[in-house]
Amino acid sequence: MTCRKAHKLMPLAAGDDLSPRRARAFQAHVAACPGCRKELEALRAALGAFRTAAREEGVPDWTEGEWKALMVRATGGSPERRDGEAGSGSRAPWPRWAAASALGALLGLVVLWVLFRVPGSAPERMTAGPGPGLEAAAPKTQDVVSVTMVSQETGLKVVWFFDKTFNYEGVKK
Amino acid sequence: MVLAGRSEAFEPLVTPYRGPVLALAYRLTRDREVAREVAQEAFFKAFRSLGRFDVSRPFRNWLFQIAANEARDRLREHVRERAALRDAAGGGPAAVDPEAGHDRRELRAGLMSLLEALSPREREVVVLRDLEELDIRETSRVLGCSAVAVRVHLSKARRKLGDLVRRDFPHLEEGR
Repeated sequence: MTCRKAHKLMPLAAGDDLSPRRARAFQAHVAACPGCRKELEALRAALGAFRTAAREEGVPDWTEGEWKALMVRATGGSPERRDGEAGSGSRAPWPRWAAASALGALLGLVVLWVLFRVPGSAPERMTAGPGPGLEAAAPKTQDVVSVTMVSQETGLKVVWFFDKTFNYEGVKK
Repeated sequence: MVLAGRSEAFEPLVTPYRGPVLALAYRLTRDREVAREVAQEAFFKAFRSLGRFDVSRPFRNWLFQIAANEARDRLREHVRERAALRDAAGGGPAAVDPEAGHDRRELRAGLMSLLEALSPREREVVVLRDLEELDIRETSRVLGCSAVAVRVHLSKARRKLGDLVRRDFPHLEEGR
């Protein structure tokens, strides 16, 4: 290690914050270099004086009254009164996994209800098929379904009737 | 218990840290009144944000994180005001007369005033790493930056402090 590199690492070395590999290289250099050793000692002394001053410095403290008042204001009554500033800081009454499970179950029930609300339900509206103007309609309670095709060009109207099992019954013009 | 929503459990939880949080706020802001406001706000936010507390981390460091964020916001608000005051005082923050009487109190005050010569980020890393003795990793978590960034700022800050101590308090070096 060069003196230049050692000088660069000096502040971290003074606080023992070098990685083990760098610390070994640094120590080896300092052991052999009086100039860098002196610089390290000076920096350690300066930082040591600073730390000592910080430890001895009078820092403010709360009086008991101030602290009690602060706690009353901080907790401000029941947890339900906590505002939304902290976002997820508000506690959910249930764990999140329970809420997610309940939501999933609800969605599943909705899907099942949609699929099976009419047992053996037949299509209520058909739009497939060739030609323009194809329309279909069937009352929910009827067993017969009709499909009507109207040609926009000729005005020809064709109606198909199906029973609820979609068996073809005939053509009427 | 407080994590389960019992507010009465909050005070016993934070009481051991009431002094350290206020001291940290004071060291970061160098102003007793602002430090009080910062610490108060930190405790308010801690209560409101308990749901976000990662129980795998030390609670003290989490409180420090909130307080450091709050102090940074306050310092940003007051930065112009402070600069104006320093200009009015007609000198740099570390201008201490080496010929003045060096009783212990003056010496301490002079040394601690050197913190004001550091940038806000440098001050934060020095206070957390050197004074509160958090390790580099925890310091980076508290400040929300990388460990590399902490090392860079720490290195600059210590070099500045070392230079200022040698400049303003040469007798400390002579006396060692």
